[in-house]
Amino acid sequence: MDLQYAQSWLDDILNEVSLQFQKVPGSAIFLRYVKSSYQNDPVRSAVEFFLVVFAIFYLLSPKYSTQKKSYVTLSDEEIDELVEDWTPEPLVAPQTPFEETENEKRPVIVGPTGPKSRLSNGRTVTNLASYNFYNLVTNETLKEKAIQVLRNYGVGPCSPPGFYGTQDVHIKTEGDIAAHLGASACIMYAQAFSTISSVIPAFSKRGDIIVADRAVNYAIRKGIQISRSTVRWYDHNDVEDMERVLEKVVREQRKKPLTRRFIVTEGLFENVGDMVDLPKIIELKLKYKFRLILDETWSYGVLGRTGRGITEHQNVDVAEVDMIIGSLAGPLCGGGGFCAGSDEIVEHQRISAAAYTFSAALPAMLATTASEVISMLQTNPEMLTPLRDNIKAMWTQLDPRSDWVYCTSSPDNPIMLLALKPELILSRKLSIADQEQLLQDVVDECLTNGVLITRVKSMPRPVNATTKDIGWELQPALKVCVTCGLTRKEIEKAGITIRHAVTKVVTKRRS
Amino acid sequence: MNDGKKSSRRRRSSSLLYQEPPESMEHMSDQSALPNLNANWVNAKGAWAIHVVCIIGLKILFDIIPGVSQETSWTLVNITYMFASYLMFHWVRGVPFEFNAGAYDNLNMWEQIDNGDQYTPAKKFLLSVPIVLFLLSTHYTHYDLTYFTINFLAVLAVVIPKLPFSHRMRVGLFSGDPEDR
Repeated sequence: MDLQYAQSWLDDILNEVSLQFQKVPGSAIFLRYVKSSYQNDPVRSAVEFFLVVFAIFYLLSPKYSTQKKSYVTLSDEEIDELVEDWTPEPLVAPQTPFEETENEKRPVIVGPTGPKSRLSNGRTVTNLASYNFYNLVTNETLKEKAIQVLRNYGVGPCSPPGFYGTQDVHIKTEGDIAAHLGASACIMYAQAFSTISSVIPAFSKRGDIIVADRAVNYAIRKGIQISRSTVRWYDHNDVEDMERVLEKVVREQRKKPLTRRFIVTEGLFENVGDMVDLPKIIELKLKYKFRLILDETWSYGVLGRTGRGITEHQNVDVAEVDMIIGSLAGPLCGGGGFCAGSDEIVEHQRISAAAYTFSAALPAMLATTASEVISMLQTNPEMLTPLRDNIKAMWTQLDPRSDWVYCTSSPDNPIMLLALKPELILSRKLSIADQEQLLQDVVDECLTNGVLITRVKSMPRPVNATTKDIGWELQPALKVCVTCGLTRKEIEKAGITIRHAVTKVVTKRRS
Repeated sequence: MNDGKKSSRRRRSSSLLYQEPPESMEHMSDQSALPNLNANWVNAKGAWAIHVVCIIGLKILFDIIPGVSQETSWTLVNITYMFASYLMFHWVRGVPFEFNAGAYDNLNMWEQIDNGDQYTPAKKFLLSVPIVLFLLSTHYTHYDLTYFTINFLAVLAVVIPKLPFSHRMRVGLFSGDPEDR
């Protein structure tokens, strides 16, 4: 019978298989394991069996990538072809005609700078284009001391502060700044520009929130960009808009994990020159629980009775501001920048602020000069008075008297930014480029009459960014830096020269 | 500077299941800027042996506690290992160190391993360890149904998140709050 035949054939095969199976080493253990694990419970055994099968399936599956390919695979010929076709773009865009003429006419100072500078064409001009507010450039005692320090310490420490770059003078200067400001600690950076762009990313990370003024300077913008934080802008110096933004952030973040939140603004704005309303900002920051990063690059050493900056000027407790960033270059005649705050804030930066950890420390002579100037400011606050008188003198010559320009700066700011009046811009339909050309003509006209001033030059925009992306457009303006190295008469004369130059250029352009 | 890209990363608040969206260009460049030291160690020498060592260590630890039977001891070893590996590979997100500017904040460690590739040797090993441990512990608990159920649920909890289909998948109940970052 066929069926019987098939059955005996099957038995034979089964016998053969079990015989072969028993020959495999370890098969007895496996059998015993299966027998003991079965235990009259088929469901459980099935579960275990399924798990084992799954594991084997997983182990045998081939590897694959879950990331989407964002590139095309090319053959060697295609690559060669593309390489041949490629013509490199110039690293730097060619100069525009405006830049070319500007570079041609650029005045070159020969010898030391000062209130009266000699140019390479032999003329001596009144210098209102450098941040030499207290005329410390010509101070002989400071020069002597700097030379002495140079002989003792050499030029640069040649090492980051965390390695062996910290010298006793750095510690002393840090202490001096902290004592001057009334903050509990201070950390010194080697470059003023990179201070704020390093402080922001040291504290604010991806997912954290920064609320910033639209008109903040380029260094702050870079810092925000590096930090990868989420940034919300508010209209320039508009406290109401700021409150709206803060409230929105708080509302949006209510049910989410807590993040760090910062307000970033400037004391005296680099691009506009006006002053921030600090008491109001402190009130809002406490109300909405934000931290405040205040860039005092242009106000430290300038505002306040003893040059302590905007906190002294507006009677705000320094401890209310979480981080105060300032510059030791410019008016203080030294170099580098600093960040003052609580002990924790300062100690955190010593290991996590990029510019502090990776950049060589400040040359000793710059640190001692800065510290010297700070003690001068403290012991002799009268040295600030002539500067303020000169600012007033210059202000009266320009702002109400000129029909064409007005000053956007605060009356306490020695850097006076003179922008064209909106009526003028509107009636003549001046574009940004037109305004810049016009102001450059004013600068040239002033120089022929022996007064050296400059224009506001903001740093370039990020690549491909439009005004809409930034949400703010730099207002072209003249930059006049008042100094106390000139007498009141000289300042008034320079003011008249600038005013007449503006009138001449504007009226000539009309005809 | 990235407020413009925010809207694309927003999660629908009502859904229980949601998939972590792909990273932006900026994210990816930050991820590749430095090696991910948080996840790369699983491919290092000795990283596989340490699992065996830990399991043996746990077994010894639970054995020397007086009054613990063999069954309980094995079950404890099993659920301790499963709990610890779930915590480490699937619960905690991001990198505990200051690397990559927080570019991995949305991914747990399993998703960071081998850059999210599936069926890599390390992942195969890490999946087989809990399965083998489960088979061992069911064997030594003499197939008692209660122990079996506990051990089986524990092994499911670590095996399911390891499957390719749960890559970047977030379940409202088990993955913690989806951080809208």
